[in-house]
Amino acid sequence: MHSPYLNISHLTKNYGNFTALEDISLQVEEGEFVCFLGPSGCGKTTLLRSIAGLEQNTSGTIHQAGKEISQLPPQSRDFGIVFQSYALFPNLNVSDNISYGLRNKKLTRKAAQWRASELLQQVEMPGVELKYPAQLSGGQQQRVALARALAMEPGLLLLDEPLSALDARVRAHLRQEICMLQRKLGITTIMVTHDQEEALTMADKIVAMNQGVIAQIGTARQIYQQPNSAFVANFIGCMNMLAVSVKGQQLTFSAGQYLWSKDIASDISNGHLGFRPEQVKVLPPDLRSIPAQSTTGLQIAATVISITFMGASIRLRCLAQGCTIEVELPPSEPYSAKAGSGDKVLLTIEGDKLHFFANPSQQSTDSPAALVTAIIDQPLIQGAI
Amino acid sequence: MNLVSSVLPAKIQKLDLQTWLQRGLLIIALLFLSFSLLLPLANMLFKSLQNKQGEFIGLTNFSAYFSNSALYSSIANSLTVATISTVIVVSSAFVVAYTLTRSAIVGKGVFKIITSLPLFAPSLLPALSLIYLFGNQGVLKGILPVESIYGPMGIIMGLCFWMFPHALMIMVTAFSNSDGRLYEAAAALKTPAWRVFLTVTLPSVRYGLINTLFVCFTLAVTDFGVAKIIGGQYNVLATDIYKQVIGQQNFHMGAVVSVVLLLPALISFWVDRRVQRQQTAQLSARAVPYQVQKSVIKDRLLLLFCGLISLVLLTIIAMAVYASLVTFWPYNQQLTLANYQFEDMDGGGWDAYFNSVQMASWVAVLGTVIVFISAYLTEKVNIMNNWRKALHFLAMLPMAVPGMVLGLSYIFFFNSSNNPLHFIYASMAILVLNTTVHFYTVCHLTALTSLKQIDAQFESVSASLKVPFYVTFWRVTLPLCLPAVLDISIYLFVNALTTVSAVVFLYSADTALASVAIMNMDEAGDTAAAAAMAVLLMVTALSVKIIHWLCSKNILSNTQRWRSR
Repeated sequence: MHSPYLNISHLTKNYGNFTALEDISLQVEEGEFVCFLGPSGCGKTTLLRSIAGLEQNTSGTIHQAGKEISQLPPQSRDFGIVFQSYALFPNLNVSDNISYGLRNKKLTRKAAQWRASELLQQVEMPGVELKYPAQLSGGQQQRVALARALAMEPGLLLLDEPLSALDARVRAHLRQEICMLQRKLGITTIMVTHDQEEALTMADKIVAMNQGVIAQIGTARQIYQQPNSAFVANFIGCMNMLAVSVKGQQLTFSAGQYLWSKDIASDISNGHLGFRPEQVKVLPPDLRSIPAQSTTGLQIAATVISITFMGASIRLRCLAQGCTIEVELPPSEPYSAKAGSGDKVLLTIEGDKLHFFANPSQQSTDSPAALVTAIIDQPLIQGAI
Repeated sequence: MNLVSSVLPAKIQKLDLQTWLQRGLLIIALLFLSFSLLLPLANMLFKSLQNKQGEFIGLTNFSAYFSNSALYSSIANSLTVATISTVIVVSSAFVVAYTLTRSAIVGKGVFKIITSLPLFAPSLLPALSLIYLFGNQGVLKGILPVESIYGPMGIIMGLCFWMFPHALMIMVTAFSNSDGRLYEAAAALKTPAWRVFLTVTLPSVRYGLINTLFVCFTLAVTDFGVAKIIGGQYNVLATDIYKQVIGQQNFHMGAVVSVVLLLPALISFWVDRRVQRQQTAQLSARAVPYQVQKSVIKDRLLLLFCGLISLVLLTIIAMAVYASLVTFWPYNQQLTLANYQFEDMDGGGWDAYFNSVQMASWVAVLGTVIVFISAYLTEKVNIMNNWRKALHFLAMLPMAVPGMVLGLSYIFFFNSSNNPLHFIYASMAILVLNTTVHFYTVCHLTALTSLKQIDAQFESVSASLKVPFYVTFWRVTLPLCLPAVLDISIYLFVNALTTVSAVVFLYSADTALASVAIMNMDEAGDTAAAAAMAVLLMVTALSVKIIHWLCSKNILSNTQRWRSR
């Protein structure tokens, strides 16, 4: 029987009455690069620290390479770790930092130093052996921290927001390098991040988390194209959300209605219809009279209220009967050049680009659903992919 | 069945050697503070509820105390002198700290050195000096506005001298942590200077100011040395304990007064902790240091004030030095070293001096080790959280325990023949133990502050690299905290050398101490010899401080190269 390299099952962590992690089950294959993605306080760092043994889980098990490790202290587990703060020992030079653990393995000083130099080559930082951390830039320090984490040849590499403290240019560069190094070494890697772009570009598998539970697990493509909840849809990329009331398969919102192609459970009465800004096609005012080709899609008549030039794209904000809809157009689209505030336009979205998210069925009051709506009706510009 | 067998071995493995070692150290630290602080104090509380036969008599001792006006009037006396001296010291320290940090006067370094001098003197020194200045044969007797220096006037003046550097240090730190951008913003909004002072300067030092008030009040209300020498017939709580215990051998009434003295100290400690908890980090990492603006008139006034304060401090020290060199004041003012021939006097002679140096050295070495390791355990070891909190609480407690109270507690606790630790009674060990605990809190806080500045992930990184925690402690944590460790050791040395309150109950014929000798020589009428010993202690403390400073500079320049970019 195939067993995954890391198998977390029914992991729970409580701090007093607060549940930081609730019934987390997750498998990580050997050599895989997994990202824990979520807003701050979602439990992603707690999960990483539980895997490392830096936090003690309340219940559940963690198997690494077939061995149950959830009760072991960190020093008996097999992992290397890199922190956002680098956590380099400031009083030791780069070489001593990297060989810090090697000296314990009865390696001679010379052998340890040689290994440190070799690792520095690997992170493309040769020749800084005798410098102290304070003499290096943030990006360089993080490379040294990475080399130190790899020095003991761990089976598992844990990265706790390793790039968050760096500036944008260094971050993009180091992101690529970490990926290349990971592929080259084939080391199983888990990275915690709150940056969706980082997760989408780096991970083989993304674990989207919210409020201590796993919201969705999937590849970047799956998570982006088939979000299974309003939370995932909103947190990863940006999505227009129209509050709808449900009757059978008929979805009604303030600016129109839409017949959903699949069955909807009978106890659902409210939900959201979602679509990505870049999936919206705009029929400009002069073409509006021409009947739309697509009949399976959603059509909404709207007014352009603002136009933002974003460099690689144009962003329109449209208003349709109280709904604000964000639209992203490529510059190649002819309308993007002549769009003007106040234009009456027709927005079309293909049926297969639409997502329906049911609100949790209201058993007692309206308040949970109202809360979801309140969160989702926020302006949706969160940075384009 | 299967479940049990898979969980059990893991549980056992979890408590590996390192965890056991950490637990063991934590328990040792807790036991140490329990036996050296908590149990003696508890013992004293019991004693205050017992009669001389050791029978429980409830609050009878307390009602006896409060029906004797000769005793309870000391409460008002203590509070009066403490309040007045606190107000004087804090307001003048405020101005001097402002001058040293916010003005463009010249000679700041000189003023810093002069104003720190009282730290190195036993509190007996200003009292002795004041006797020579304002006593019945005093040089400046004529300008004294009251009848006699012996009494509240003398106590207040002596306390002001002795507490001044303590207040100044906290205020200077408070003034140093300022954000220059706030002043630039205020200037951009065209705010008048007095409003800037009220709305920017004062709020930024608010917590420091409150902290200084409490520290000074506690020091003043619990001080023994000044009141003992110059208090005359004016009784305060600390001298009452001494009189009850040493004078009348009434240990139980001594315990009652101790409880009464413990109260204001505990209340002030509690309020201060509450206030400190409110304090949030006011200084962000992006704060810009304040740039001093020149202002001729303001600077001249401040310079004048600092000059006056320095003159007063120097006069008191100079008078003590001069008095120690005069043959027979005021009749024969021939200079002589005869007063330094302590072997001819009461109080223990030169042996007492060497005992003091020996005791201070032990405290500096052992105390630093104990304080730093237990601070490390409270801050960096992630096990047994409630026990660690208990350790932190015990480490904070000594600040609220007056020296006299701690000393008396030790008599009760260690002199009991039932106590297996009885053997350390009347030895050097009990003096070292008592003094370490007496000055524990400030050292604990210093160690904690420096430990908190170290990245909290170092322990995690070490664990991931399979390096035992003690290796990281030795190779990383200790080197990073070396400046703080050196500070702690000299703080302990100087205070152990000059303290009198706690040890006055604990010395024996073989372990007489210099500070106690000063007191005894003064009592015997050898005021000049007392002054000589006080000056000698001060010179010793200062010399050790200078040697320590030179060594530290050398050590730090060799070990802290990594700090430079």
